[in-house]
Amino acid sequence: MLIEDVEGDLSELFAERASKNRIIAKVKYLIDVILLFRPGIVRNFEIKNGLINTAMLKNYFKSAMRNLLKYKSFSSINIFSLTIGMAACMVIFLFIKDEKSFDAIHQNNIYRLCEVQSFPGTNTQKVALSMPGMGPTMTDQFPEIEKYTRFWGWGSQLVEVEEKNMLVERVVGVDSTFFEIFNFNLLEGNPEEAITGPTDAVISKEIAIRFFGDTDVVGKTFTIRDGSLEVKAVVDVPENSHLQFDIALSVFAAVNEADEFNNQFGSNYLNTYFILNEKADIAALTEKFPEYLASAMDNPDINERYKLFLQPLPEVHLASMDIEHDYNNHRKFNGQYLDVFVLVGIFILIIASVNFTNLTTARATYRSKEVGVRKAIGAMRQQLLSQFIFESVILSLFALVFAFILVLVALPFLNNVIDRQLAIIPFIQDVQFLPAVLSITILLGIIAGLYPSLYLSSFKPVIVLKGLKNKEKKSIFRSSLIVLQFSLALGMIVCTLIVVEQLFFIKNKDIGFTKDHIVLIEMNGEMQEKYAEMKEELLSQSNILGVTASGQRLGNNFHQWGFKARVDTGIVNFTPSNVHVDYDYLEVYGIEIKEGRSFSKDFATDDGLAFVVNEAFVKELGFDDPIGQSVGHSWYPNDSLGTIIGVTEDFNFNSLHFEVNTLSMVIHSDWGFSEMSVKINGQNLDAALDEIENVYAEFVSDFPLQYEFLDDHFDEMYKSDQQMGSVITIIAVLSIFIGCMGLFGLASISIQRRIKEIGIRKVMGASVKELMFLLSKGFATMIFISFVIASPITFVFMSGWLENFAYRVDINPLLFIIGGAVALIIALSTISYHVIKAVRANPVSSLRYE
Amino acid sequence: MNKYSIGEFEEVVMLTVAVLFENAYGISIKEEIEKRLERKVSVGAMRTALNRLEKKGYLESEFGEATAVRGGKRKRFFKVTPLGKKVLDQVMDTRKQLWDSIPSVAFDFKFG
Repeated sequence: MLIEDVEGDLSELFAERASKNRIIAKVKYLIDVILLFRPGIVRNFEIKNGLINTAMLKNYFKSAMRNLLKYKSFSSINIFSLTIGMAACMVIFLFIKDEKSFDAIHQNNIYRLCEVQSFPGTNTQKVALSMPGMGPTMTDQFPEIEKYTRFWGWGSQLVEVEEKNMLVERVVGVDSTFFEIFNFNLLEGNPEEAITGPTDAVISKEIAIRFFGDTDVVGKTFTIRDGSLEVKAVVDVPENSHLQFDIALSVFAAVNEADEFNNQFGSNYLNTYFILNEKADIAALTEKFPEYLASAMDNPDINERYKLFLQPLPEVHLASMDIEHDYNNHRKFNGQYLDVFVLVGIFILIIASVNFTNLTTARATYRSKEVGVRKAIGAMRQQLLSQFIFESVILSLFALVFAFILVLVALPFLNNVIDRQLAIIPFIQDVQFLPAVLSITILLGIIAGLYPSLYLSSFKPVIVLKGLKNKEKKSIFRSSLIVLQFSLALGMIVCTLIVVEQLFFIKNKDIGFTKDHIVLIEMNGEMQEKYAEMKEELLSQSNILGVTASGQRLGNNFHQWGFKARVDTGIVNFTPSNVHVDYDYLEVYGIEIKEGRSFSKDFATDDGLAFVVNEAFVKELGFDDPIGQSVGHSWYPNDSLGTIIGVTEDFNFNSLHFEVNTLSMVIHSDWGFSEMSVKINGQNLDAALDEIENVYAEFVSDFPLQYEFLDDHFDEMYKSDQQMGSVITIIAVLSIFIGCMGLFGLASISIQRRIKEIGIRKVMGASVKELMFLLSKGFATMIFISFVIASPITFVFMSGWLENFAYRVDINPLLFIIGGAVALIIALSTISYHVIKAVRANPVSSLRYE
Repeated sequence: MNKYSIGEFEEVVMLTVAVLFENAYGISIKEEIEKRLERKVSVGAMRTALNRLEKKGYLESEFGEATAVRGGKRKRFFKVTPLGKKVLDQVMDTRKQLWDSIPSVAFDFKFG
């Protein structure tokens, strides 16, 4: 009855505030709602003769509040450390939820067809690509497969809409079944009829608005490369989809002979997805693949070269780190890191709870009188137990509220650091979220409060009321909790140091070529034709140091093509990575030649018949004297192979997660390039970019300039690792911070208890130095034990992580020492406040009453 | 002590309800108080006061028509009851008596 008008009031206020600032309005709304939870409003608490003894609960509540307020510093340490722990867990939860939400809108029986390729002369690799013929023929052959769709990325295309030219970045070809297999939300049109013929197009919401200013555009037309296309549907492609596209066309828009395409084998250049029927047995199905491959392809070695496997859709986003040539996998993330995050979240909660347990136990003597009185007037031990647990639950509930507020405040900043769009508001509205969080919090309060409650409720009334002190023994329990806490914190510090070292190593390792200040420009048709003149014009600019071009970009593995070489025993076939380049490619990128020479225009045969290979290539073939050896592409006749003219160092053209593969570079001047690389003067970045823009505008009229920096591309490759690094750093800082808060509180209690001892020692002539040593000794020992426990575990764990990288740092024992020293210094300086205060106090003030 | 007792905030709320007459509901009362007394009032605090006053019988309330602005929620309009009026009168009388009884010399401050 009351609800209706209060709700109305709140939404009226909200509307008014939201007109100024939406976020502030939301926060104020939340605060108002929380403030409304007061006795007079929610419910009248003065129920008499209720079933539960509310009078007692009320009293518990009252004494809990009094204690909270009386010992403000302890309460705030308790609540604050729990708050930080909970907030960290919430953020981790949001992060994981976000990653797990990838592709969740689709059905769960979708699989991606992947291959394990083991070609001779090249590293065995998993690839996400497959051949065009595989989808249709496998669907025919296996009853388990219901439907297939291919997904073929065509890169950016120039689109003509209503007589305007626009560049669209992600144009793809798919099969007619694509929108039946994938549950993308179609704003207009229906999935069965979205892509039926080669002139049908499905465009994304953003593109619809960019093209036509509206999403209701079914039936409108546009043109790509002179082919007219009709919009059949408008699709909403969410950010959390591993497939991203702006325009989807039929694969047959780029293919003349549909039958031939559907039976095309040999090269792998597109993704294939299957939808399997409910009863399909993946293992049994996979076993039948070798037989299929043998029948589909006319190659006796096929099953040694290829192994097909099906990757379930949920794994595509989170378990594809070892898969190469994975071009259509938006924001691919290392799923193992999510497990690490869960672990780290649990750790920080443990550290926070330990603070709580320790401080409450250490403070027990302050409340011994209360326990005595309660027992004397008839309280049972059970009742006292429930009282103290009730208190700790209340504390953890407070912490929960603060944690929510902290997360609200900190999220925008964190989103910036980890490049995510996390939000907690949608979860607060979720029916399951709040009860779950509440029960976890209550559980946490009970666990953290259990030991102190047991301890407190065990006091004997006669002893405490007489004023006799309970004999304080050295608490092994408390010390071991501190050791646990600092082992975790220390471990995380060392992990952070190692992660940072490895990331630094990746960033700064000499990978054998220049990656800084290289601008990559995509080459379109017009640029292909005018490449030579454009290059000349660019080179005449003052801030441009070099211009070259290639068929593929550095930083990923290059495509592997068949290759042959003449050795003593005859011709061997193998499959190195290949890239075709311009004459001055090696010079512009500063790739070092170890033997022989680079490409040169002086030799006519350098166009197509000369190869520059890397050391891995030479080693693979076992050439002692590589220069002059006969090698060639697999399609060259055996009697007219080319020769090796130069050998380069093993530079890391692929990510440092992988070993350097065998590589061959060649010039094919008639092939055209896909990308131009322009090396610019780093001191005059803006001027150089202006120069590029001007030259570009001079030569290319209908295609807008699109460029990217090579080092950005490299950063992108290590993003998953980079983000893991930031998260673990933040958590490590927080955990040592929480640990120190606990230590601070504990030190104040334990030193307080020894204040008379210190006084007497001082009177007897102990020096300040000796006293400081005496007081710090205990804490230092605990940190040392933590160090001994944490180091080996951390070492094993981090060795495992470094395995992910083919190129990695060795774990330096010095880092452990540094981590330990940092923890020790921080801990000792934390307690030094109390130590120094106690040691410098005048003994008179502590001994006066004796 | 008086037969009826109300707190300072309650008095302010009642007076504001009277001032606003027929347009006294949650938000308008809150804003009026904030405007006139230049102090922040939380929705919660005011709601508690209103409830308490209604329970004591100094205020009465009824629902108005639903409006779209408030997400279709009705407003609850408050009115001062005759008993409430009596209380307010009494508060004012008490104050007046007190003022009247102040000897003139009491406020005869000498500075310096």
